[in-house]
Amino acid sequence: MNLLAYLIYLLISWAITVNAGISFYKNGKHFLLNMLEGDEKMTNTVNLLLLTGYFMINLGYVTMMISMWETVITWHQLVETITLMTGKIMLLLAAMHYFNMTTIYLYYRFNLTTKKNIHL
Amino acid sequence: MKTSFILTAYLIYLPVALLLTWYVARTLFNSGKIFMMDIFNGREDLAGSTNKLFEVGFYLLNLGFALLILRIGHELTSNQSMIEALSRKVGGYSIYLGIMLFMNMLLFFRGKRISKERKRLALLIKQTNQDVKGMAE
Repeated sequence: MNLLAYLIYLLISWAITVNAGISFYKNGKHFLLNMLEGDEKMTNTVNLLLLTGYFMINLGYVTMMISMWETVITWHQLVETITLMTGKIMLLLAAMHYFNMTTIYLYYRFNLTTKKNIHL
Repeated sequence: MKTSFILTAYLIYLPVALLLTWYVARTLFNSGKIFMMDIFNGREDLAGSTNKLFEVGFYLLNLGFALLILRIGHELTSNQSMIEALSRKVGGYSIYLGIMLFMNMLLFFRGKRISKERKRLALLIKQTNQDVKGMAE
């Protein structure tokens, strides 16, 4: 039963993490481009580094969680543990995501005030 | 028999929670695009990405929460107790989603207000510059 739970859990959480990561990678590019004042080459490098770091941290965390799994006996326990673990991962991803967005926003604001110009 | 009631409750709760989240996110971020276009002064790339990023964050946060609260701690002995437990879960999640919707709307309105302020300020600076130039001449 535990092995089945690991299999389902890994499939779901890897799919979510990879999907979210690719979405961040695509959409974050415009922000980085704006932040680095249109330096395309630098943007691509920074973006790729960020994506790799994100994958390492999250996939590592996802995989590590398996070692502290409780024993599963019945079907409803299976659903319970898988959803609980996946929910935790998703909340962690959400927290990291909002933290990143706040950082980018603050950086943008900081740039705006130090340069003393107003973009229109 | 006990466990099968819980399993049924889970199997009903999961699709309902997914559907609710999808519905709210779709409604919110279809209108969000209009707000973002306003906030970023019609810069399509930034507006689109911000909207998308907020949408992904919304899904992660709310689906994560929905999965976290799935567990039914007490035993279910009849159809009646199953429906009662389900109504509590689904109703609670729905209220939570509503609050989240309003929080996101507040964020949109705040962004709109700030961009309006910025536009006003820029106009003021432009006007002052012109006045100074006029006085110098």
